[in-house]
Amino acid sequence: MKLQTKINIGIIVVFLILGISAAFMTFKWQNDHAIKAAENRVRLYIRAGWQIYNAKIDRIQATLKVLAEDRRLQRVLIDEGNGELMDEVLRELQAIRSDQNMDILNVLDISGRVILRTRHPESRFDRTADDPMLRKVRDEKKACGGTVLLEERRLQAEGADLVELCRRYGGEAVGMMTAAAVPVRRGGRVIGMIQMGNLLNGSVEKVDHIRNSLFENEQYGGKPVGTATVFVRDLRISTNVLREDGTRAIGTRASEEVAERVLRRGLSWTGRALVVNAWYLSQYDPIRDPDGQVIGMLYIGSLEKRYLDQRSRAVFLNLAVVFGGMILAMAVFYLIMRTILSPIRRLHLATRRLSKGDLEHRIQVRSQDEIGELSESFNQMAQQLLEDQQEIQQSHNQLERRNEELRITNRNYMEMLGFVSHELKSPLGSAVLGVYSIKDGYLGPVSDTQQRILTSVAQSLDYLDEMVKHYLDLSRLEKGELKVNRRMIKLNQEIVVPSLQGLMPSLEDKQMRIENRVPNDVLLCCDPHLMRIVFENLLSNAIKYGRNEGTIRIESGNGKSAGTDTGQTVLSVMNEGDGIPPDKLNLLFQKFSRIDHPKHAWKKGTGLGLFICREIIEQHGGRISGESEEGKWTRFTLSLPTLGTTS
Amino acid sequence: MTKTKAKILVVDDDVQHVDTVKTLLESVGYSVDYAYLPEKAIEKAKAGPPDLILLDVMFAGPPGPDGVEASRRIHADPALQKVPVIILSGVRKVLDLPFRLQPDDEWMPVKAFLEKPIKPDKLLSEIQKALGK
Repeated sequence: MKLQTKINIGIIVVFLILGISAAFMTFKWQNDHAIKAAENRVRLYIRAGWQIYNAKIDRIQATLKVLAEDRRLQRVLIDEGNGELMDEVLRELQAIRSDQNMDILNVLDISGRVILRTRHPESRFDRTADDPMLRKVRDEKKACGGTVLLEERRLQAEGADLVELCRRYGGEAVGMMTAAAVPVRRGGRVIGMIQMGNLLNGSVEKVDHIRNSLFENEQYGGKPVGTATVFVRDLRISTNVLREDGTRAIGTRASEEVAERVLRRGLSWTGRALVVNAWYLSQYDPIRDPDGQVIGMLYIGSLEKRYLDQRSRAVFLNLAVVFGGMILAMAVFYLIMRTILSPIRRLHLATRRLSKGDLEHRIQVRSQDEIGELSESFNQMAQQLLEDQQEIQQSHNQLERRNEELRITNRNYMEMLGFVSHELKSPLGSAVLGVYSIKDGYLGPVSDTQQRILTSVAQSLDYLDEMVKHYLDLSRLEKGELKVNRRMIKLNQEIVVPSLQGLMPSLEDKQMRIENRVPNDVLLCCDPHLMRIVFENLLSNAIKYGRNEGTIRIESGNGKSAGTDTGQTVLSVMNEGDGIPPDKLNLLFQKFSRIDHPKHAWKKGTGLGLFICREIIEQHGGRISGESEEGKWTRFTLSLPTLGTTS
Repeated sequence: MTKTKAKILVVDDDVQHVDTVKTLLESVGYSVDYAYLPEKAIEKAKAGPPDLILLDVMFAGPPGPDGVEASRRIHADPALQKVPVIILSGVRKVLDLPFRLQPDDEWMPVKAFLEKPIKPDKLLSEIQKALGK
C-alpha cells in the first residue's frame, strides 16, 4: 500500500471519528438546548398570557372605581325605596354593561344582597354569600379583582340564559367569570359594593386575545402555532384549540396527569402535551379564586413540531457545517500530503532509475526540510556512485590494457620460445647423431672413460631434446594453434604400438617389462597426432620414473559400468616405482610443476609434459587423473568420449 | 657390400649435420653424396641416380622448392621413379602442417618420416629397411 494511501486512510478515520463525535455532541446539545429554550419560551408566553388576563380584570376594576364615586348610585344604596332613582340608575348601569360588553353588573348592599342587577332586574335581593370576591371586598373593605366560579343557583339568579350558555359550552352549569368588585363608600363608610364581570364560558375573546398577542394567529403545517385555553376545573370552556373538524374544542377535558398536578396540587405543569390532536410544548397554570382555591387552569401551548423542525434544521445545518469542514480539511490535508509526498515519489523514481544504471540522474532539491536533505544525500550518493563507477571503469580499463600487454608479452615470449626451440633442433640433431655414433662405436672403439663421458653427454642431449619438444608444444598451446582434427582410430594399432616402438631403446636400457593389455578392438575418435604426444609423454614418464626391471602396464577399454555404456574410452599407463605423494598428485598437471622428490632429484624434467597432456585431453573433452601408492606404483588414466563428443 | 656400395644422397642445408651423417654412413660402408639445396639435389640425382635419398624438408636461404617438392620432381623422372626416400627433418611431423602425412598416403616412395634428433641405430635400421635388406 502506498504511503499516501495509508496516510489518507488514517486521516479519513481520524476525521470521521472527529466528525461523528462533533455531530453527536451538536445533536445532543441542540436537542437539550432546543427543548429547554422551548420550555423557557412557553414560560414567557404564559407570563404574558397572565398579564393580558389580569389587565382585563384591572380594567373592570378601574371602571368600577369610577362608578363607585357616582352620587346617585350611592343614594340608591341609602335609599332603597326610591323607585324612580332606582330605574334611572338601572338604565345607566345597563348602558355601561352593554358598552363594556360585560355579562353581569350588580349593585349590592354591604351584606351582599343584590340591590340592582342590570342583566336580570327582576331577580333581586338574593344573597351572594358564597361569592369569595364579594366576601373579600366586604371583609377587607377594598377592591378585589379575579376569577370566580358561579354555581348553577347563582347563574340562575343572574339569568337563565347564562345557565343555558354554560350548558352549551361544556355541559356543566358552572360559570367562570373574570370579575372585579369594589366597595361603595359614602362619607368614609362602606355602604355597598358593585361587581362587574364577564363569563369565560364559550367566550373566545379572551383566549383569542392572548393567542393573537403572543402568536399573531400564525399557522404552521395547517395547525395554529400557539393556543390558549381556559379550564373550569379540567373542562375546556374557552379555547382556540381546534378539533379535526375545525370547531373549537370546547367541552373537552384535560389529561388526568395535568389535572392531578395543577388542580389538586396547585402547581404548574410544563412539558409536551398532546392537545386534542397535535403535540404542544405547553404550560398549565392554576387559576385561583380570591380565596386562593384552585378553580381552573390557564393553558398556553406552542406547537412542538415547529421547534422540532427548527431543531432538525439546526442539527442538519450543524452536521452540514461539520462534515463540510471535514471534507474541506481532508482536501487541504490531501493537498498538503501530496506536496510533502511528491518529492518522496520523485526520490523513489530517481532511486529506480539509479538502480537501472542511470547514474547521471539528479533530483531537483526544492525544500529545506528533511526530504530536501534526503534528496541532497541521494544526489551525493549518486554522484559518489558515478565517480566510483568511473574509477572502477578506469581501473578496469587499466587492468584490461595491462592484461593485453601481458598477453602480447606472453605471446611474444612464446613465439620466441618456439623460435629458439626450433632453431635448437638442427644443431641438436647433428650433436645427438654425432655423439651417439661415437658412443655406440660406429666410428671406432671407445675407451671406458670416453664411454662414461659420452653417455653423460648423450643424456644431456636427450634432456635437451625433450625440453625443445615440450617448449615447442607449449608455445603452440599458448598461441592457441592446437586444433583437434578428429577421426576414428584403433587405439592399440595407431597410438600404443608405434609409441612403444619409438621408446623401445630406453625400455631395453632400463630392462623394463611392458604389459600391453590394450585390446585391438578399442576405438576412439580423436586427433591421432595429439593423442600420440599425450601417450608418448605418459609412457616416457613411466620409463623415466619407473624402477629398473619394473613393469609398465598399459590398459584400455570402452568404459562400461554396471552394464551400461558410459560412452567413455579409458586408457591408463601404470609403472612400478617410488610413486608420488597423494597430496602432490594434482600439482603435476600444472605448468612447470616439479616434484621435489629426493629420489628423483637427479632426474631432469621440464615440468611441462603432464600440463601439455591435460591441455590436449581437455580439448578432446576428456579428463586425465593420476593415482599412486607411495613406494609401489603410479598410474595415470585418461578418460575420453569414445565418439569424440561428450553427448 | 660385396656388390657396389649402396649410394645415398644426403640433402640438408645444415652443413654440420650433412658432415655427421656422411661420416656415420661412410663408416658403416655406404657411399655418400650430398647437396645443401633441393635444386642441387635434383641435379645430382639426375646426374647419377642414388640408391636412396635422405631428405630434409625445410631449407633456409632463397625461396625454392622444399624437400617434399624436390622429392616429387625427382620421382617425376621415370629413371628415378623407384628411388626410395627417407625424410629426416627437424619438423615435428605430427604437428607441423603440411607434413601430416598419413601412412596410407599415395606418396609411396617415402619409406619413412624421421625426426631430428635421431640416434644412429634408428637411422641405420630405417635405411636398411628402405633399401630392402
